[in-house]
Amino acid sequence: MIQQVQNPILEIHDLTVSYDQSPVLWNIDLSLPEGKLVGILGPNGAGKSTLIKAIMGLVDPSGGYVRIFDKELDLVRNRISYVPQRESVDWNFPASVLDVVQMGTYGRLGLFKRPGKKEKQLALDCLEKVGMTAFAKRQISELSGGQQQRVFIARALAQESDLYLMDEPFAGVDMATETAIFQLLQEMTQEGKTILVVHHDIHSAMKYFEWIIMLNLHLVASGPKSEVVNEELLRKTYGGKLNLLTKVSDLIRQQEFNPLKN
Amino acid sequence: MMSFDQNAFLIIFTASLIAISCGLLGVFMMLRKMSMTGDAISHAVLPGIVIGFFISGSQRGVEVIVGAGLLGIIATMVIDFLRKKAKVQLDASIGITFTLLFAIGIILINLLAYKVDLDQECVLYGEIAYLPIDLWITKAGFSMGPRITWLALLNLLLVITFILLLFKELKLTSFDEGFGLVMGIPAGGINLALMSMVSYTTVSSFEAVGAILVVALLVVPPATAFLWTKNIKSLIQLTVLIGIGISIIGYYMAFWLDSSIAGMIVSVAGLVFLVSAVFNSKKYKFKSGTRLEPEALSS
Repeated sequence: MIQQVQNPILEIHDLTVSYDQSPVLWNIDLSLPEGKLVGILGPNGAGKSTLIKAIMGLVDPSGGYVRIFDKELDLVRNRISYVPQRESVDWNFPASVLDVVQMGTYGRLGLFKRPGKKEKQLALDCLEKVGMTAFAKRQISELSGGQQQRVFIARALAQESDLYLMDEPFAGVDMATETAIFQLLQEMTQEGKTILVVHHDIHSAMKYFEWIIMLNLHLVASGPKSEVVNEELLRKTYGGKLNLLTKVSDLIRQQEFNPLKN
Repeated sequence: MMSFDQNAFLIIFTASLIAISCGLLGVFMMLRKMSMTGDAISHAVLPGIVIGFFISGSQRGVEVIVGAGLLGIIATMVIDFLRKKAKVQLDASIGITFTLLFAIGIILINLLAYKVDLDQECVLYGEIAYLPIDLWITKAGFSMGPRITWLALLNLLLVITFILLLFKELKLTSFDEGFGLVMGIPAGGINLALMSMVSYTTVSSFEAVGAILVVALLVVPPATAFLWTKNIKSLIQLTVLIGIGISIIGYYMAFWLDSSIAGMIVSVAGLVFLVSAVFNSKKYKFKSGTRLEPEALSS
């Protein structure tokens, strides 16, 4: 079930990505509408992170293309925000929380220019949105995993973009924070921003996302939650992973988690 | 017999300039986990120096600096190619690249021995003690003072300008290269610019302290400072202070023991690092010791 849309904000056409000759993404073809909270689901090694990296040009596709806001990537870089996986950097780096959040403003500042008062205020506002104001002066090496994740989200907010790509932003974040951040993301989509989130927890995915992409090397589904979440497609996505498969079936059997019966 | 005369001042001043230039660049090399790439560059520039020397016929030509700079960039790109495209481990690609280029340099020195007044010892160890007699004489015959001091001063000014201009970009790409790339910051170009500065600093300093000791000045002061602080501005300040401190102490230790100044400066740096490392590990143990105590009592 792959639903294409008119005037897509993000269009991926026939995208294939391979590492060392072995393809990790096959012929991905999808388009996304504006102002939606989009979840990317799939088992480990399904190519979720690779898809996000290919959208941003961090990995070179061996075929196909990506268009964002109906333009080439390089023309719209300052309208895209990125939250990488927390493990992708060394948190021993000598920087304060405020320093890292201000990095989100560097793209707009351009080469050679230093961040000033305006950038600092913006960074403080973004920290407030993720509930980290009290930690602004703290060195990043002294943060817990969940706090690090919130700093990365604040940094992406400081980019003030229209399209947000988040790679597992909720890994290691507690339930209360996860709920608060999901609410923040929902408010942002109401302002017309589009947010793509790689997510692992099927339970909360059903609760918050409006549009769901299911991935397992191939694109299994892309469409509004109510139309694509069903047992057949979930099986297709997670199939073969027995443990996970029973969990998924359990979830579907439990009425309250089944969006089809609501 | 301690003394502080003009020569002592010139040597300490020049050594400090070199130590600061190396330390400033070294901070970013360390944060990028590329300290050993600095090592590789300092050796890989040798063929560039020899070829530049051969073309210009003098150790002082611009060709020498250009040749070294080019070789530094080539070394960086070869290391990058081996690691990313040929999937060789980083440490192995560094080891292969710089030993190969250094060996080519040695062969070139031997082949051109009659035309090039350059020997491995000078390149490897340098001799800062000769600095006061190697003067920069203008065409009018006016002496401007030691040539190497001027080179070191120019080098430091360029390094400071480079870091002031690109501080934000260097910080960002050292912390999170992917994020910088997504924002359209030319991370590859900034990396190459940093490597060129390291190459230029190496070649500008090798006459005074030699290629091996340049590596120590690139690596040790930043690593020592990082044991004491987790703030990037104080990290840079402390690196500069350590650079000056080891130059002063190293000079007088060498004077006292009648030994190599550059060798002594690096030995002092190593000692300061060891003391810092031991002190910081003790501090950590002490902290965790006091934290464990109440638990031990309650059980």
